[in-house]
Amino acid sequence: MRDRVAIPQGGPAGYPGEARRSASGRSRRRSVAILFVLPAALTLLAITVFPLIYELRLVFMSWELTTNAPARFVGLQNLIRVLSQDGRFWTSMRVTAILMIGGVAIQLSIGTGLALLLNRLGSRRTLLVSLFLIPVMIAPVVAGFQFRMIYHDQFGPLNYVIELLTFGQWGGFAWIADPRVALFSILMTDVWQWTPFLMLIVLAGLQSVPVELYEAAEVDGASPWQTFWRVTVPLLLPVIIIGILIRAMDSFKLFDIIYLVTGGGPGNVTETISFYTYLQGFKFFSLGYTAAMAFIQLIIITLIAQFFLRFQRQQRGEV
Amino acid sequence: MKRASLVLLTLILVLATGLSACAPAPATPAAPAEEAEPAAPAAEAPPALDVVKWEYPASFGGVTINLVGDAGHNLKPYEFWKGDFEKVGITVQIIEVPFEGVYEKEKTEFVAGTGAFDVVTFYPAYIGDFAGNGYLEPLDEYMAKDPAGAWDPNASDVLAPFWELYCKFGGQVYALPIDGDVLMLMYRKDLFEHPDEQAAFKEQYGKDLAPPETWDDWLQIGEFFTREAGETLAGETLERDFYGSAEFAKRGFSFAWFVNRWAAFGEPYFDENMTPMVNSPNAVKALQNMVDSLKNAPPDVLGYGYDELRDAFIKSNVAMVVQWTDVPKKGADPTQSEIAGKIGVGRVPGWEVGGQVVHRSLMPVGRVVAVAADSKNKEAAYWVAKHVSYDRSLEDVSTALTGLDPYRTTHFTNPQAYKMFPTAEEAQAYLKGVEAAMADGYPEIFIPGAAQFEDSLDLHVNKALAGQETPQAALDAVATEWDETTDKLGRDAQIDLWRKALEAYRTLGLIK
Amino acid sequence: MRRMTRLEAAVTAGLLIAALIFFMFPVVWMFLTSFKSEAEYFHYPPVFIPKDFDFRNYFNAMAFPPDGRGGLQGLRDSLIIATATTLVAVLIGSLAAYSLSRFKTGGDNFSFWILSTRMFPPVAAALPLFLIFKQIRLLDTHLALIIANTIFNLPFVIWLMKGFFDELPGELEEAALIDGCSQVGAFVRVALPLVTPGLVATSLFSFIFAWNEFMFALLLTRRNVRTLTIIVPSLVGGHEILWGEIAAIGTIAIIPGILLSILLQRYLVRGLTLGAVKG
Repeated sequence: MRDRVAIPQGGPAGYPGEARRSASGRSRRRSVAILFVLPAALTLLAITVFPLIYELRLVFMSWELTTNAPARFVGLQNLIRVLSQDGRFWTSMRVTAILMIGGVAIQLSIGTGLALLLNRLGSRRTLLVSLFLIPVMIAPVVAGFQFRMIYHDQFGPLNYVIELLTFGQWGGFAWIADPRVALFSILMTDVWQWTPFLMLIVLAGLQSVPVELYEAAEVDGASPWQTFWRVTVPLLLPVIIIGILIRAMDSFKLFDIIYLVTGGGPGNVTETISFYTYLQGFKFFSLGYTAAMAFIQLIIITLIAQFFLRFQRQQRGEV
Repeated sequence: MKRASLVLLTLILVLATGLSACAPAPATPAAPAEEAEPAAPAAEAPPALDVVKWEYPASFGGVTINLVGDAGHNLKPYEFWKGDFEKVGITVQIIEVPFEGVYEKEKTEFVAGTGAFDVVTFYPAYIGDFAGNGYLEPLDEYMAKDPAGAWDPNASDVLAPFWELYCKFGGQVYALPIDGDVLMLMYRKDLFEHPDEQAAFKEQYGKDLAPPETWDDWLQIGEFFTREAGETLAGETLERDFYGSAEFAKRGFSFAWFVNRWAAFGEPYFDENMTPMVNSPNAVKALQNMVDSLKNAPPDVLGYGYDELRDAFIKSNVAMVVQWTDVPKKGADPTQSEIAGKIGVGRVPGWEVGGQVVHRSLMPVGRVVAVAADSKNKEAAYWVAKHVSYDRSLEDVSTALTGLDPYRTTHFTNPQAYKMFPTAEEAQAYLKGVEAAMADGYPEIFIPGAAQFEDSLDLHVNKALAGQETPQAALDAVATEWDETTDKLGRDAQIDLWRKALEAYRTLGLIK
Repeated sequence: MRRMTRLEAAVTAGLLIAALIFFMFPVVWMFLTSFKSEAEYFHYPPVFIPKDFDFRNYFNAMAFPPDGRGGLQGLRDSLIIATATTLVAVLIGSLAAYSLSRFKTGGDNFSFWILSTRMFPPVAAALPLFLIFKQIRLLDTHLALIIANTIFNLPFVIWLMKGFFDELPGELEEAALIDGCSQVGAFVRVALPLVTPGLVATSLFSFIFAWNEFMFALLLTRRNVRTLTIIVPSLVGGHEILWGEIAAIGTIAIIPGILLSILLQRYLVRGLTLGAVKG
């Protein structure tokens, strides 16, 4: 069989069976296509349709569960308030954006770098990969407590090590208490926790690149640098973009660390959108307002996602 | 290699079955079977003290009471007194919720009307929410039942601020206390009494060194005790920096340390018409005092929550703090504390108002238990609540096995029960301090929307502390947000509830 | 591939060691804390190596709450939920992903709808989900959490696997089809083995997401089911943080993940060449 396999040119996936145009083949293909997708689609539909309708209705209601007043229809008022009058919403959005952009950029660079390094080690890397993966395995709740100790100004190991390394010249920062560095400290916990995620995805992607492509590139006399950009990156791009997308989406959910380590402070420098949504939803029980905030977030994330996916499609078209 | 995925799936399957096989068999909903499991070692319990008189009611005939509360040692009393409950035919089944999630969990179950709980443990700031929404059963009728020995929770014994403000709502009793949280002053007795320090203070400020009576004193003494490493403190050279005072300056409860400073002026949170008083000149002065005090605090004070503030004190980093009353108990334990035997306690500082100093100490958190309105066994549920709130309460608050704090006169008149203190005198001094703090007790906001009002206050107090806003701007912002919240929740209804709250304030003399 | 020069090897080793220090420091700190006594948590200078490696924090944590079975119950429930979630999500997720990748089923809008179900803030979804589970009487069961976690993991699995399938040149399956394979056969015998590394990574993360989930675990359970993520914050009393016990549970909680990652890495090793399809 091997001799019949054509080496693809590093282009996007072709679609099997496309060569055959018989009607029966096409309908069989369609039924397989639908059959495969059905279990997942039905599961999602069954569970998400009610919450979605429930929340959509709430967007237009004022329903304050802390009082016994009944829900009332308020039209677009919730949306208008979130968008034009709620400074806190936008401040927390900005904090989230900083964490998202900074976090994803750092995680992607370190993660890709690590994956490339590990990739060269071959089977010797097993233990290393497992070690690097530990941060994602630590529940955010547990990680939050560890960082509260590590970042402690007087009793924390981080400042102690800094003090030793600078021979007592510098005692380090009050990592989570200093308004100037608190957000950076939170960003680093996120980098620590989620870099391994992108690392493993890229590593898995690298493993799936057929060796023949590299061999072909080498035969063509490409330098390793050229090979990386012309063979590896285009092939990995779909997976990397989805990895980035998932991380970007999840940074809207960054919650536990904030909750446990800073509580959103000092002041509001580390208050993320998920923390603020949590307060509105689960402390204030302002259900209508929470629903409005949720949908606005959904729209913003959708726009971000569309941007990435369009970029992905463009890339695919170009190759 | 084509079987790779199959092998993989099999592997996961084997792993899954293997692991769930190692684990104990899944629990069936039949709870009594679990209760019989001998796995748990017999719970360590404090000895019964029998200081108060109580009696068993007639048996309830084998009912199960579902009790929800924040997980951890504060649920231990239900294990301690399991035998008592069994005697009257009650099995208490505990549902533990992490401290962080108690309100969300209880509220969600109430909103959905699941009837999952009979007895609910909650923080009294939510009494307006829970009682006002009809989730809780009014208790007056149960309290008056015969015989009194079995049913009367002896409310007159509970310190008045806690009872009037945290257990009643709209004139009716809805909850019984089990944990009397209040803030108090604690300071380094050894430093305040050291002759060198006393002399130096007298020279510098022209008056005697004594625990701070007013918040101005707090700043002065704080400044006095703030020293750098290498300087001398109480005759010894300091190895690391030492600070005069520290605050709870992290988001969460920083507002409480502000209210301590503000409440003494006799201004409630709102006036009769729900107009916020929080940006009054006195309030601004109070917040300015708190901001100024950070100069005398450790550099990471903006990260201080309960634990950090406690550790700063008992690890000998600061000279004085205002803290919850359980800190001296831990401070008396030499294995954890560097200042065992050196802790003095007193009233939270105040302000001079009309010729005399008025003190107020906030009662943040605290715990009360109530009976759910949709419980099917209300009498039994009530008795469980009453049993821990009164009959066995001295045992529960005096043991190191729980984190519960005293709230009744009988808790203050029995120092011998508090075994964590090396001497009865130390226990006595501690209890006197707590009793005085409780008598100065000042409530959190406890009308519906409390969480929202307090979050606004905390956010802006914290912004002022972090230097993001001036005290005036911060408190103006709070006032605006409070008005918005009131409008959102329904101004007329809120005014009604707040006027009832003000009556309780008046009864207690918190306002004129 | 070319062999590394000595310089390259040294640089590689240096970078890996630096990364190891950064990523492992908090982990090692947690591990050491799990053996510390109360006096050693906050101390100046910080205590790195506890005086004695005593397992009391582990025993306390495993038997923590008053009913004395907290940690063990948490371990059991988390394992059941995370394993079942992973199996379900990866199984039906990969099928859907293959269909989306190869046949563009439903087009871009359909696949985007799938992804969007992960975007909705969980806080807002929590109450309606609670009401559903109340209605179908699944509160406080493993099944409720398996379903809730599956909904949030499915989009992740589908999209990530779709990415891996997209990466795969379609000519391989075409060849198999010409050889007389059925569509299902091409999927099982050709496509799936080739994306095994991706499948492994996806399963691992699916497991970890479910393992670490907190909010639904808080709301949808009461007493019969309590995951490890619920037990950990339970160790924070109102007045006391049991640092050692938290670290102990944290340490135990990473063991299944590590085992799984070591076990699965057999399938994450290069060596898949196109010819390997021949089997």
